[in-house]
Amino acid sequence: MFSDFDFGVILRSLPYLFKEGMTFTLTLTAVATVGGVILGTLIAMIRLSSLPVLPKIAAGYVNVMRALPLVLVIFLFYFLMPYIGQWALRADQPIQVGALSSTIITFTLFEAAYFSEIMRAGIQSIPRGQVAAGYAIGLTYRQVMSYVVLPQAFRNMLPVIFTQTIVLFQDTSLVYVLSITDFLGAASKIAQRDGRLAEMYLFAAAVYFLISFTASMLVKRLQRRLAVAR
Amino acid sequence: MSMISMRNVSKWYGPQFQVLKDCSVEVEKGEVIVVCGPSGSGKSTLIKTVNALETIQNGEIVVDGVTVNASKTNLPKLRARVGMVFQHFELFPHLSIIQNLCLGQEKVLGRGHDEAVAKAEALLKRVGLSAHAQKFPGQLSGGQQQRVAIARALVMDPVCMLFDEPTSALDPEMITEVLDVMVELAREGMTMMVVTHEMGFARKVAHRVVFMDQGEIVEDALKEDFFGTPRSERARNFLSKILSH
Repeated sequence: MFSDFDFGVILRSLPYLFKEGMTFTLTLTAVATVGGVILGTLIAMIRLSSLPVLPKIAAGYVNVMRALPLVLVIFLFYFLMPYIGQWALRADQPIQVGALSSTIITFTLFEAAYFSEIMRAGIQSIPRGQVAAGYAIGLTYRQVMSYVVLPQAFRNMLPVIFTQTIVLFQDTSLVYVLSITDFLGAASKIAQRDGRLAEMYLFAAAVYFLISFTASMLVKRLQRRLAVAR
Repeated sequence: MSMISMRNVSKWYGPQFQVLKDCSVEVEKGEVIVVCGPSGSGKSTLIKTVNALETIQNGEIVVDGVTVNASKTNLPKLRARVGMVFQHFELFPHLSIIQNLCLGQEKVLGRGHDEAVAKAEALLKRVGLSAHAQKFPGQLSGGQQQRVAIARALVMDPVCMLFDEPTSALDPEMITEVLDVMVELAREGMTMMVVTHEMGFARKVAHRVVFMDQGEIVEDALKEDFFGTPRSERARNFLSKILSH
């Protein structure tokens, strides 16, 4: 069945696929992970706090984000962000937000909802005695969080965070709806230009599989090491 | 003036359940008080109100001249001067032993790193664990962890020490090593409030014994009187049970 296939097209397009496509995919994954974890941790802390109103707003945010399909959120943000920007900055016209900045912001905000649930579980897994011990030596709430609770919560949750990152790595391909050239987008463009759909999509699948599978293997190893250390 | 002064302290969980009923205790400087009583009698709660890990609804607690339950009290500052040792050690598992001992010194007292390390090493030596400075809590036995926890409280130069059942989570063969450290501390004149069932420790170093039952202080007596002739029926009962074997 492969007699009609031209695998040379892959070789020829490698520089484009990786230098343009994969670079963007990995950058978006990294930025959304780091931003999502930071924002998600803040949301988790707000939800677990005894502040008035704010925990409810944070919970609402998480529930809405988790109940919507990612593609829809990408679209919505892309079309709404100029108007939100206009409102926030009190500008006369809608603010210009490029597809690129729009996706980065969308993915960060969207992932923050998922990471906040992970961090919430992580924070709640820390025994109350640890918090009491932190207070007992004179730490403030903020210090107990930054030196006692969060480092442990983060360490306990590291495998789950990485697993979520692998899912995110695959989900970044949805940026195709805004015609952004990520790895899959690049492969798809070559495929259509040269009429080599099967070759390019098979290759793209192989690359996604290889990276995701290797990453999950590494996460499993990390999990075992953490289990020993605890 | 007392080092720790608790006057008519009451605490409720919810509207119905009263854990502490009008408790009053005075602990003088250099005094060692043992608090005992059946489980659920409120002794752990009582000791945790001293550094405001538990809040109170009624009464007044003054530690070294500072009113603990006043809203303007700087609690972190107060807690830094009151050492506390927990039943389950509560060392920070993600930090090495030396880091456990330096955290409070650096972040709360603002000591420099070298000064903090020197102080930590001195106290580790004192509890006989110098060799373990670079290890993590999980690598030490329960007894060793509890000695580290005592050292972690002592590096802060506390004016008094609170012990919340420091030996009840330990295997029998490790209890002595922890009690030895506590006895030494008591003999050096540290003000101590100790919740424990170790009556041997009480006989050896306590000045007074406070006996609690159902949230009340039933008896507050000199050690000699408590072990000699406890006045209350409940204390006699408790003693006969705990000393029968």
